[in-house]
Amino acid sequence: MTNSPEKIIRLEQINYLYHETITALSDITFDIYRGERFAIIGANGTGKTTLLQIMNGLVFPSSGKLFFKGNEVMRESLKDKGFLRFFRGRVGYVFQDSDVQLFCPTVLDELLYGPLQLEISKEEALERAFEILKMLNLEHLKERPTYMLSGGEKKRVAIGSVLTMNPEVLLLDEPTNGLDPKTQCFLVELMIALNEAGKTLVIATHDLSLVDELQTTVGVLSEEHRMEKIGSTVDILNDEELLLRVNLVHEHVHRHGDFAHRHIHSHYLFHRHES
Amino acid sequence: MRERIPSFLLQLPTSDTFRLEGKSLKIPFLEKGLNHLGSLIRTAYSQWEWSSQEGLFQKTDARIKVLFLILFLVIVSLKKEVGSELFIGAALLFLMVLSRLPLLQLYKKIFFLSLIFGFLVALPSALNLFNDGEILFPLLQLPRAYPFWIYTVPERIGLTGDGLQGVALLTLRVINSLSVTFLVVYTTPFPEIIRALKVFRVPDSLLITLFLSYKYLFIFAKTVEEIHLAKKSRLLREIPPRGARRWVAGRIAFLVKRTQRKSEEVFNAMLSRGFSNSVKMYEPGRLELRDWITGGSLLLMGSFLLWI
Repeated sequence: MTNSPEKIIRLEQINYLYHETITALSDITFDIYRGERFAIIGANGTGKTTLLQIMNGLVFPSSGKLFFKGNEVMRESLKDKGFLRFFRGRVGYVFQDSDVQLFCPTVLDELLYGPLQLEISKEEALERAFEILKMLNLEHLKERPTYMLSGGEKKRVAIGSVLTMNPEVLLLDEPTNGLDPKTQCFLVELMIALNEAGKTLVIATHDLSLVDELQTTVGVLSEEHRMEKIGSTVDILNDEELLLRVNLVHEHVHRHGDFAHRHIHSHYLFHRHES
Repeated sequence: MRERIPSFLLQLPTSDTFRLEGKSLKIPFLEKGLNHLGSLIRTAYSQWEWSSQEGLFQKTDARIKVLFLILFLVIVSLKKEVGSELFIGAALLFLMVLSRLPLLQLYKKIFFLSLIFGFLVALPSALNLFNDGEILFPLLQLPRAYPFWIYTVPERIGLTGDGLQGVALLTLRVINSLSVTFLVVYTTPFPEIIRALKVFRVPDSLLITLFLSYKYLFIFAKTVEEIHLAKKSRLLREIPPRGARRWVAGRIAFLVKRTQRKSEEVFNAMLSRGFSNSVKMYEPGRLELRDWITGGSLLLMGSFLLWI
């Protein structure tokens, strides 16, 4: 199977039934190109996480196909050790809940786990781990058990644990969710820098400000679990009607002193007072 | 930030090809077990779906169903003839059809469990080693009988007619007990079953504990499923059994800690909403005419099955 060379990930008519009963994704088709920043946005429960898990070959669609660099990724192909190493070494996944992702005794063990799995020499693995510790300002925490870290520190370790494997594609599930503004800002800068270093970024989020900051290609999932529209950040964030329809913005009433008025609630792009 | 990116992260893979090894990755048994915990959630979803169908039992009040469950379990264990058990089995099948349950799926589970916990457990008792009787299926011929303590190993060993009848009766009892339990469990949401226990004067504090345990069992199973996926996403080669055991032990410790923290949070949430060592649950409403009619019919059916 050969696809266009610049396409790194292709999803073809993906359908997914959660626990074989509830529709989580319906007829999803799109491509992600090498070096692209791609955001999958949608309200809660639209299937963003499931879509990322399918793209990482963690769960498999009820129907439809996933291709990575032209190779079909499916249960059978991932059983082969050669393909498994090829795929997992190139596609990294940062989970929304860092607690479930971090399973090694200390921060350093966590960063070493991936490279050692890739059978990289111990010296090189250590070198990678220390470079990542330095980049993420985690050097002073290297011997600390992961359960003794704050939320922001856990998130940085989770990202670091994937980066030490040097994947080409980074799948990030709600990367800034629940983090303080300083850590959020740090992560945005990190994501931009990693993308500029050649990494393909795929982010699942409902945080429109993150999409605005990263200026990504945006895929909008509807509450019917369909890909409603794909476009540039400007295209999507200016489409008020679309964002209202998929429940990513809403109308609300608020007061400025004695004056109450109604407008579409969004903290960027449009905050247009209508009455 | 840009200048802080390590040089190795700037390196792209030298090749976009890979070599198929033709060998599969072996997943350690312990890890498979963890993954199977996730299937608990799937079962609960199926149960919820079936209990929302429009069938006879789904429309019946949970209190009637709990009483039916106990009545029929007693009847099943009182009957001593294979024929009667077969008749009860047919009656339960009829009720399942009226409740629009997926028969194939349910009976697959029922027969599998009955095979293990009924048939296989009881089968040795059909041998003439334990009870005398006419041998229908001879299995082994020894040179002579061997006396052993208070037993005697007979010269000819085989399955007796009486023994096989006993095995059939026990297996049918297990099948019928499972059928009646599945009939109630798969037509009633679990919280309603718990609430129905109020009929038997079960204290509210015990019921709320059961509710909480059931709910957190699912949170636990969901966390275990996510842990498994997180491991899978970074799994590139086989982990030696020792490493797998260490990983599982570490994850169990994490779950214990998390569960402990969650229980403290739940207790604080209860305190903040006025909990003071006594729990009060709302009383289920009065039974409707339809429930009385169904309950009466089931009682009649039970009496008839007891009589035959």
